[in-house]
Amino acid sequence: MTDDHEIPEPHRLSLDPTDLDGHTLEELMDYLESGRQPIDPSIEESPGCQLALDALERLQGLGDQLIEADAAAAPEVDASWVDRILDGIALDARAGRRIPFESPDAGIDLGITEGAVRGLIRSAENAVPGLLVGRCRLDGDVTQPGAPIRIEIDASALYGEPILHVADRLRSEVEARLRAHSDLHIDAIDIRITDIREVSSWTEQS
Amino acid sequence: MSERFRSALEQADDQIVAGRAMDGDVDAFAVLVRRYTPMMRAYTQRMLNASSDVDDVVQEAFVTAWQRFGELADPAKVKSWLMRIVSRKAVDRIRAIRPLLDVDDIDSPAPLHATPSQVVEVRAGVAALGAALKELPDAQRECWVLREIGGYSYEEIAEELGIPATTARGLLARARRYMIVRMEEWR
Repeated sequence: MTDDHEIPEPHRLSLDPTDLDGHTLEELMDYLESGRQPIDPSIEESPGCQLALDALERLQGLGDQLIEADAAAAPEVDASWVDRILDGIALDARAGRRIPFESPDAGIDLGITEGAVRGLIRSAENAVPGLLVGRCRLDGDVTQPGAPIRIEIDASALYGEPILHVADRLRSEVEARLRAHSDLHIDAIDIRITDIREVSSWTEQS
Repeated sequence: MSERFRSALEQADDQIVAGRAMDGDVDAFAVLVRRYTPMMRAYTQRMLNASSDVDDVVQEAFVTAWQRFGELADPAKVKSWLMRIVSRKAVDRIRAIRPLLDVDDIDSPAPLHATPSQVVEVRAGVAALGAALKELPDAQRECWVLREIGGYSYEEIAEELGIPATTARGLLARARRYMIVRMEEWR
């Protein structure tokens, strides 16, 4: 260093092979990644290698911290950005399979999309305070009228709500809505409460 | 959409929110956009070492995610899935600007961005790391970001950047050496 203000230090890391007793930094990286196994005495007994290994270890995990710090320092995501993204997506991209209605007249072909059925299932959450429906899957060949269908629903409930009660209410609500608005032959409705939210998130808002 | 509903959705975990978005719920997708835009922008900015194309890259990533939700096996893993998509888009952008990776750009003295007064501010590890990262030559920086932030293996980096895996490993070693030495100087 030519900087006059630099304070001389006893150890200046250069990480060159001469400082690493003949090892290369690549070798030390591999050694760390193998969990220092099998033990290599020529590395473990070399002060230069130990310094380099310590430095490499200090560097580990800093990448994630860097991105988190960058993200935390970034301005809030504004509404116009969200609109820009939503304007750019094709709304029918997630429509899924087409589900026919049974019709006595072969000339009439009616149906709804899987996406619409999922929307119907999600709307059942309105009847169960605090409940949010996540992913729902229609297991079975929905394109064949009358085929047995099993429905799997992930849901999030409020902390303190009795889970079984909440699940039962959602199940009967989903069943009623599907019966009213589709011809699906529902064999079973499986509900998994996978997420519990704090009550404050629901009651804070009017 | 009521405020109460929006707030509940904001509080729900990724499995619920991404699960709804996969099923076509645009409100849930909007929550993912708000939740992960800062991180995706940060990653892209570090990858490109520039701000100009960041928003375009992140937008492309979200559009692709919406189209390809069917490929996301587990909605609880939506964060790493989105980061992979934005990483790919950023690499695409780099390739479009610079078709060939100059793996020999290693020791070309990178412009030192840090002035003495800034150095005082960057003593904290993460800030020093970020400053050192900005000084790296392109190839080293891209390898480092893919490995240390993207979690890519050498083979995956090699595939992304179109270089041999041994070259990726060598570039990563050079990047780490530079950052260790530079951060040491600032301590």
